[in-house]
Amino acid sequence: MYINFKAIANWAKSAAGITITISIAVALYATINSGPYVLVNTIITGGMLALVATGLTLMLGVLNIAMFAHGEYFMIGSLTAFYVFTPISNYIMENPDSFLVIIGPVIAIVLSMVSGAIAGVISEKLVFGPLRRRSTDNWVMNSFLLTVGLSVLLINLHQLIFGADFKGIVRYWGGMPVSIAGAFISRDRIMAFLISGLIVFLFWFFMTYTRTGRAIRAVSQDATGAQIVGINIENIVLLTIALSCALAGVAGGSLLFMYPSYPTMGLEPLYMAWFVVILSGLGNILGAVAGAFMVALLKVVTVEYIGAGWDFVVPSALIMLILIFKPSGIFGSEVRGVLDK
Amino acid sequence: MLLEVKELDAGYGYLQILRKVSLQVDTGEYVCIVGPNGAGKSTTMKSISGLLKPMGGKIYFNGEDITGLPAYEVTQKGIAFVSEEMNLFVNMSVQENLLMGAYTIKDKNAQQDRMEFVYDLFPRLAERKSQLAGTMSGGERKMLAIGRGMMSKPTLMLVDEPSFGLAPQLTETVFESLDILIKNGVTIMLVEQNVNKTLSVTDRAYVLENGRIGLDGKSSDVANDSYVKKVFLGV
Repeated sequence: MYINFKAIANWAKSAAGITITISIAVALYATINSGPYVLVNTIITGGMLALVATGLTLMLGVLNIAMFAHGEYFMIGSLTAFYVFTPISNYIMENPDSFLVIIGPVIAIVLSMVSGAIAGVISEKLVFGPLRRRSTDNWVMNSFLLTVGLSVLLINLHQLIFGADFKGIVRYWGGMPVSIAGAFISRDRIMAFLISGLIVFLFWFFMTYTRTGRAIRAVSQDATGAQIVGINIENIVLLTIALSCALAGVAGGSLLFMYPSYPTMGLEPLYMAWFVVILSGLGNILGAVAGAFMVALLKVVTVEYIGAGWDFVVPSALIMLILIFKPSGIFGSEVRGVLDK
Repeated sequence: MLLEVKELDAGYGYLQILRKVSLQVDTGEYVCIVGPNGAGKSTTMKSISGLLKPMGGKIYFNGEDITGLPAYEVTQKGIAFVSEEMNLFVNMSVQENLLMGAYTIKDKNAQQDRMEFVYDLFPRLAERKSQLAGTMSGGERKMLAIGRGMMSKPTLMLVDEPSFGLAPQLTETVFESLDILIKNGVTIMLVEQNVNKTLSVTDRAYVLENGRIGLDGKSSDVANDSYVKKVFLGV
């Protein structure tokens, strides 16, 4: 087989190559030094972050919206999963042999995805669409302010209707934790990782190889060019917003066992996802997946070696450094601000 | 008649640029619009392709009224627009850009046929299949833009300023590729600032000035017109 060593060497010297190499080294060191649970935590957190961050990247690339309400779709997903799974869980308690033991959580997670998508479509129809039709002057600023407003609205609607308490579940699948390389990992965590891995893979496949996925990328790279080749931008915009909110929703739904649903629960994944997007470069979908695992690693390692209170400080400091020295992000090939689009 | 533009008014916001522009293109013709900067050449193209909503007037394509249709529907009717800025998908490979050009064709085999046709036309693109469009030279990008336009199997191609920003040598290559397209039975409407060259290769010409058609006729006649000679050719 022909291997292009020069290309590999060039890649290793690029910002992306250096960062990925360092991350893998740090992950390996931490795993050997502190035990495999570091790696497991990184992968689970990273998988969840990847779901939220790819959605954020999509919104930014295709709709040119700096989305600050994305955490609320995460919250909507977890809320849906809670209200769907609680009756299922009660039923399971009475009928432990029911087929719902296996299928019940799947139903809850799928519905959380659907509810995320529906919420996304509703916000496009009621909020972003009308603004776009009225005027696209100063679009980046106006749409950003809209998302902040939307975020406040959704948080308070949650509080008004469902109350401010923690709505959590004990477990999805339950059962004995599985031992992997000496670390005990609960089944729910493994499932959460598998779900996010599967969805990120399907999503990547969809974006890379299907006609519609290519159309989404085309719109994000050149909206005029996309119109010229015959793409109906309105449809792509609606699809994109549904897709990216569905990704956030399913992340919220599948992690309900770790993060109970409450009004402001979306803020943490939102900030983390923004770290990922800035780190990996705006509008770069595959970069966002890699970036998600890097931010997750950074977070886990910080908690492990510096202290639990620092897991926001270290990534924030890194983001500042990146914005100063490489504002296009480590996977971004060129500096192209959202504002110039 | 393939394309008929009747008394088209167009502009941006409050600024009207085109005033009652009328023109016609027959099947198989090679027509150009020449004129000074700011005359409204690109605006005419954008209005026909659907990127800009006309303020007044009518546009007919194949006898069908396409005035004010969104750009994607105009493309589906068989008009391909190669814009001045090319609007390529810079982070996609040459192959993917061409595939996007065939977006309106759903049949995979037909897509492949078009792709081979374009690669035959521009062997240079075939050599660079997997290169990212954004990393190619200006001339290659122009070729890719024209190739992408060809992918949808258009009956009419609108080409805006193909020589813009290109070295004279590359301009020649681009004009040659347009010649090949004409020989393949595509109708082309060309907008150019390179008046001399354009009038020597096209069949018919419209001279656009201050948003109005000042003169039209056979390209050779237009090139010999004393006014055109004085103003554009500097003879």
